[in-house]
Amino acid sequence: MKYLSAIFFIALAAWYLSYSATRLDRLHTRVETSWANLDGLLQRRAAIAIEIARSEISDPASSLLLTFAAHQAREASVRDRSQAETGLSGALGILLASSDEVTGANEKDLLRELAELTEKIRMAISMHVDAVTRTQLVRRKWINRVFRLAGTAPLPVTYEFEADIL
Amino acid sequence: MPLSKKRIGIVCPYGWDTPGGVQSHIRDLAEYLIRQGHYVSVLAPAIEDEDLPEYVTSAGRPIAIPYNGAVARVLFGPIAFSRVRQWLTNGKFDVIHLHEPAIPSISLLACWAAEGPMVGTFHAAAKRQKVTFAVAPFLEPVIEKLGARIAVSEAARETLTEHLDTDAIVVPNGIYASQYRNGSLDSRWTGNTIGFIGRFEEPRKGLDILVAALPVIALAIPDIKVFIAGPGDSEAVLKNIDPSLRHRFTFLGRISEHDKADFLASVGLYIAPNTGGESFGIILAEALAAGASVVASDIPAFDSLLGHGKYGTLFESENPNDLSQKVIGLLNDPVARRAIAERGKLYAQEFDWDVVAEKIYDVYEMAMVGGSGVTLSSENRAWNKFLGRQSQ
Repeated sequence: MKYLSAIFFIALAAWYLSYSATRLDRLHTRVETSWANLDGLLQRRAAIAIEIARSEISDPASSLLLTFAAHQAREASVRDRSQAETGLSGALGILLASSDEVTGANEKDLLRELAELTEKIRMAISMHVDAVTRTQLVRRKWINRVFRLAGTAPLPVTYEFEADIL
Repeated sequence: MPLSKKRIGIVCPYGWDTPGGVQSHIRDLAEYLIRQGHYVSVLAPAIEDEDLPEYVTSAGRPIAIPYNGAVARVLFGPIAFSRVRQWLTNGKFDVIHLHEPAIPSISLLACWAAEGPMVGTFHAAAKRQKVTFAVAPFLEPVIEKLGARIAVSEAARETLTEHLDTDAIVVPNGIYASQYRNGSLDSRWTGNTIGFIGRFEEPRKGLDILVAALPVIALAIPDIKVFIAGPGDSEAVLKNIDPSLRHRFTFLGRISEHDKADFLASVGLYIAPNTGGESFGIILAEALAAGASVVASDIPAFDSLLGHGKYGTLFESENPNDLSQKVIGLLNDPVARRAIAERGKLYAQEFDWDVVAEKIYDVYEMAMVGGSGVTLSSENRAWNKFLGRQSQ
């Protein structure tokens, strides 16, 4: 009887460990997915920003500013990414504030595309932030820390994004 | 919309053949996506298998259980679970969309059994409940598998944040705005009239509040009339109304979609005195789309739907005095009434399926990034192997 209960207990512990590891693995996958999604959208935004800079919407000065910000956003490392993207949001914001008198069909298309993209980016950010917070929360649980169930996966970092100036 | 056609699985937690907000939302969404060329399969509990639309798969007969103050027709248990797994395996979906995955029904089972791109929609808005906190530790590991979650209103989102500590994107319920846009004025219902649509026998629909407010309204507006549409026993309600007021009430019974548009466009005011239990308020969106001037109780769902009073007038919930003041004020000021209705009509276009379904599809696309389709989860695959079952 003693052995039986010991075996039962060990089996239960083993199951729980494997279950926790699977759970963590899934969360990491979710963070990767949401990041890939957000990253893709941000890359597209940078591309549109460069197109806008080349179009008739922007004057030479804001063209320069926009191109600079877009390149910075594209080339930034993960660590500096959010700051660079915020910079791009700011540059786009300045331009869009004075974009009421845009006439060309091509330019209007660009602006509409940008507006749609901005809406999607907003959703992508909220999805990513949720995935990251959840992963951080679960990784802090003692069982995951003691048994190193996360393995070598880096702890996901929160992506600081000023959603209100998008 | 989409360049590539996707295989989409939708799970409905409630009995398909009982009327309800979640069911009609899923029906409209599925039909919209099918029209866009996607392959859509809906898994739902159903009492009768014969009359189901082609795209619905029955998961078995629903069980009626009391839930959240009403009777919910849900389904769970080993047989349902094996049907869910079968549906998941056969469907080879690119993405699955689970409705109300936090209530004990097949959406939760599907969420447990599947792995891959999953989207969840939360419809219910409930007050803080101790029991939800008790089950949260069991629910969280399941719910966190959802790649994206949608709440149908700010109220539903708050419920989700409070109970399960997770955020959601707000995408409202959809309506076919074009059906309501061009309702014609019907002289039977125009003038100083009040309209009400709903199952009026249910106390939470708040007809009592309107009845209690009427004596005061009738003093100020002598020709006031009330038209009530919706299924129910009108005799029982009339019996409780003061005899001198009875002649002001007309019960229309259930009205057709076409009449509904005319009705909403014609009535002087549309009143929603609901006392709670609403998460979104689809009827208000329809009323706004038809161009009605709306007066609604200030419960959280209505407050956020009406933009805190910008697109309709709010009164203090369960306060007949406040309701009668607001009604009298509006009926005596046609200019203000028209202005607010115009604003509301424009705003209601946001709830059109063309807008709403596109947003939902955007969320699908985000959940599908890099995904290789929905499969049974590894636990379930291991379990199948252990039992000697092959998943294909």
